[in-house]
Amino acid sequence: MNTHQRFTLTQSQKMMVFILSMSLYGLSNMITELIPKFYLGPIELSVEYFAFIPLSLAMIFHPLYAAIGASLGEVIFGEIMLGQFGGIGELEKFIAFSLAIFIAGVSVRNPENKKQVALGAMVGVILHQFISMSVDILKVWVGVEELEAVEGLAESVVVIEGLAFLNDVLFSGILFALLPTLYLVPRLYGKIEPLLGMKPRKNDLQLGLSDIVTVPFVLATVVLGSLSFLFEYLSETTFGWEWEAPLVDRFGEWIVFPMMAIPVIVALVVVSYLVKRKGRKDTDGYSEVV
Amino acid sequence: MDVVKTLTDKLSIEQVKIELLNTAYGYHHTFLQRLDPRTLFLWYLVFGVVPFFIHSTPVLIGLAAFLVVLTIMAKVSPLIIFILTLGLLTQGGSYLIVGLFFGGNVTAMLPLLKLTLKLSVISMASIVVFCSMSPEKLSDGLLKIGVPGQVSFSIGYAYRMLPTLVEEYHHIFLSYRLRGKKPAKKGLFYSRHLFYYIKLLIKSFYPLMLSVAKRSRTMVEALESKGSLYGFNHPKVKQLKLQHLTIKRRDVLFFSLSISYFIALIWLS
Amino acid sequence: MTHQLTMTDVTFTYPGQNSPQLKNVTLSIKEGTFVAIMGGNGSGKSTLCKCLNGLIPHYYVGDYAGKTTVNGHDTTKVSVSELSKHVGYVYQDFENQLVSPRVLDDACFAPLHFGLSDFKRRGERALELMAISHLKDRYIWQLSGGQKHLLALSGILSLDPDIIIVDEPVSQLDPFHAEVIYKQLQALHQQGKTVIVIEHHASFVARYAEEVILMCEGEVLAHTPVREALENDALLSQAGVYPPEVTMMARAMHWHDQPLPLTIDEAESYFKPLLKQVEENKVEIAPEENNDVAVQLQGVSFHYQSLEKTTHQVFDQLDLTLYQGERVALIGNNGAGKSTLMKLLTGQMKPKAGQIEIFNEDISQQSPEQLAEYVTYIHQNPEHMFIDDSVEKDIGYFLKMRHVKDLDQRVARLLERFDLTSLKSRDARLLSGGQMRRTSLAIGEGMSPKLLLLDEPTATLDMAAKQHVKRLMQSQTGEEKTIVMATHDVSLVFDWASRVIVLNNGQIIFDGLPEQLVGDYHVLNKAGIILPEIVELSRRLKLPLMKNQQMFIDCLQREVM
Repeated sequence: MNTHQRFTLTQSQKMMVFILSMSLYGLSNMITELIPKFYLGPIELSVEYFAFIPLSLAMIFHPLYAAIGASLGEVIFGEIMLGQFGGIGELEKFIAFSLAIFIAGVSVRNPENKKQVALGAMVGVILHQFISMSVDILKVWVGVEELEAVEGLAESVVVIEGLAFLNDVLFSGILFALLPTLYLVPRLYGKIEPLLGMKPRKNDLQLGLSDIVTVPFVLATVVLGSLSFLFEYLSETTFGWEWEAPLVDRFGEWIVFPMMAIPVIVALVVVSYLVKRKGRKDTDGYSEVV
Repeated sequence: MDVVKTLTDKLSIEQVKIELLNTAYGYHHTFLQRLDPRTLFLWYLVFGVVPFFIHSTPVLIGLAAFLVVLTIMAKVSPLIIFILTLGLLTQGGSYLIVGLFFGGNVTAMLPLLKLTLKLSVISMASIVVFCSMSPEKLSDGLLKIGVPGQVSFSIGYAYRMLPTLVEEYHHIFLSYRLRGKKPAKKGLFYSRHLFYYIKLLIKSFYPLMLSVAKRSRTMVEALESKGSLYGFNHPKVKQLKLQHLTIKRRDVLFFSLSISYFIALIWLS
Repeated sequence: MTHQLTMTDVTFTYPGQNSPQLKNVTLSIKEGTFVAIMGGNGSGKSTLCKCLNGLIPHYYVGDYAGKTTVNGHDTTKVSVSELSKHVGYVYQDFENQLVSPRVLDDACFAPLHFGLSDFKRRGERALELMAISHLKDRYIWQLSGGQKHLLALSGILSLDPDIIIVDEPVSQLDPFHAEVIYKQLQALHQQGKTVIVIEHHASFVARYAEEVILMCEGEVLAHTPVREALENDALLSQAGVYPPEVTMMARAMHWHDQPLPLTIDEAESYFKPLLKQVEENKVEIAPEENNDVAVQLQGVSFHYQSLEKTTHQVFDQLDLTLYQGERVALIGNNGAGKSTLMKLLTGQMKPKAGQIEIFNEDISQQSPEQLAEYVTYIHQNPEHMFIDDSVEKDIGYFLKMRHVKDLDQRVARLLERFDLTSLKSRDARLLSGGQMRRTSLAIGEGMSPKLLLLDEPTATLDMAAKQHVKRLMQSQTGEEKTIVMATHDVSLVFDWASRVIVLNNGQIIFDGLPEQLVGDYHVLNKAGIILPEIVELSRRLKLPLMKNQQMFIDCLQREVM
């Protein structure tokens, strides 16, 4: 049990982390929704999100509950309350964001180590933006009929989304994730935990083998999986996007949707597996959150 | 640039706050509001997902017309419509510009317009459904379709806490302003001022994190003694909570009529 | 009568702390008693109560030893949920105890989540019991502080517990609402419930409680009937508790051997026979001549839109002039417009019509940052003022932003003056109520304002901290500085103010000297002002206005032979 010290919170403490992360990130989401966006040509200069909030919390507290809380907070405050709830489309965001924050939180083993904190913050942002980018590209490719008839569309989508990805990672990532997280984590560490009746995470904490290996391992699988899926498709269609591919021929365009869903489903399975595992370990039933 | 100044004068935080709360709590008594959440979910499943796979322009136009009518009926706040249109326009617009750069031409970009149409149908469907549900209804509905009790509790809690949080955040933000110093120079396009404000918006979260931590603790302790950790997913509790949900004649009528319209559209085209 | 609550040799240490918060506590409380737990900050009062409702040891994973029983159940063997059917607990920060968006839902929350099928009826009955049924469809955020407290009580009453614990009901409420809460608690007590309050306002304890438990550093000093405890000066001061003012005065004079008075009624009959019949005193009124205008409001109107899309008019054509060097107390019930007036003066809000001039400058074109150069607003809730991570940095923030040269010396002087030097590197948010308040005053002082606005500077403080703040306020009488203070604490008004303005529904219904206010029943009633004990007593005894204890004692000593 010693090796898992950081995860042994009581059920109520998990609920506190969850509520804390949900309220704070939810509120920040409402605010970022209201900040106007600026466009420099096709490049958007906007306050995408205050990722530093869930990132800091995931590094200081239990990463899983901070991650899920933040995602739910975004859905409730930023979507439902502002009447913009996108229904099923939110599921993809929810999973992508939870996964990214969770991994960022787990990757920081010592919150007092600035390098780890910085790395963790960037990993979280890059991962999240990458998943979002992939999904966005796929959306257009699937959504537009006869994509090949439109000269330059397939490329332009990739270029636009790619630029947006770079922009988000460099602009939002540094300004709204990296710097604030570096500012906050050392200030909050050791100060916020007693307010929730917890001890701060130990520096010399040793994570169990399963914690280190499985998560990046699974992550790599997901990322590589979706990447390979993407490139597979690209090479086959050579940017021309031919619908005469045998699969599509036989099943119609519908087949693309389930295929697009593969990375999402994989991610879902991963998260639910992780939650189940934690749930079993703590035997507290809180895993029902997901 | 005086526009910015007058705009910021008009858009005081106080007003934004009220508008925000209005959007979050303002529910009108519309026809859709009276429907059972399950009807709305099912309806959403049809109108929020299926259009994605429809490539026929007349059907999409027909659906869009139907949804525009429903959106008007649902008395959706103008703020939301504004955000929706802005989002769709900018996304479509930027694809268009870059597409042209890669050698496409405007007429060939028509399918893109169709995509925008498609996406607006889907967005309108979700707006119609989810704006017509009060928080209580939404959380009851979610609970009914098997979403864990914690989620539906969190929705209620968010509605409970929102004004408190906004208020507190506003106070902290003001404290920064009252003791801080705004940059003397405006900078290019007010960029210095903008940067100053955004920095304060971020910094204000540090005090907020600590005070919300205090709040969460009391809240969870109170929950513990109110039996909710035991009761969130207990079947008996669920049954008590949801006993008021019933499918009425108007639910059946609404659903079957909309579906008939949908089918008729496909048939006609 | 049976012993409903017992604690035997209970010791508890919070996780991560070195010394126990409770030390070998042994006590028993009989069914149907009204008990007040008194003691200074950190004496273990709240910890003791958390043992009684099972949060300790179930929830706080510290070191727990000893045995606690509630209605015969050992708390270690029964769950917190189970215990909440016997014990209801209302927190000091009761606002966070309310978890549903609407009133009725919140009252029903506990019975619903225990799966009781009559949950709705229980919730409704609890609201009725607290006389807030008419609010049942409201949103929580539409309620006033007092209503929220009553709702928190309803929330626990819905489970019909026999024991009700209320943690410092007065600390977050104004005197008027505190009285309402105590009346309700008294009613519950008369229905046979055991009521336990944590309280440091001895005047409430004297009037409502039957027994007192005095605590000091985690130990129970005494558990006695109220009179015995409140008369025992030595014991009280050991526990860091002030007796009621009237008791203190009677002891200081010590004329006869009758039992000391604890309440104002007792005090009246105690002091009355000692007095010669004095002729009606006339208050001398000599308004200070002062021509230097500090603040001038002309025809100021302000309204805001509430959520129901209705306009709420706060001020309509308000005119007001304040002069330099004045100490103005702004009183009036909630919603009278006190805070709005202050916010208008800081530029946080702009009037919809009319003009505000501060030191002869129109402020409509000035941003809050610019105004902050000479106007300082000290928040009702000190936590809202803490923006940095230590007391020292928080006090220096304003100066640092302005690159003041002797920053360190000035901060050091402020720390010294407000008795904060030993706390300078702590995070202000984690301090006690009194320390937080002093920090917020020091922050304000550090901005060296010409106009200082204080919003409820003594609210939520215990007696000792209140005395400390009062002393600081007394020393805040610079020649040029104009101070405006909004407050419910009328004792502070008489002690400190040179001018009193009473607001009621956005209108000034009284503007004059504190002495003039005492006789104006009409204004007092209309604004819901409860006079401090000393003022009330001197009024009943037909003495001239007594601003503080020393004055009272001196006066009586002159009166009595």
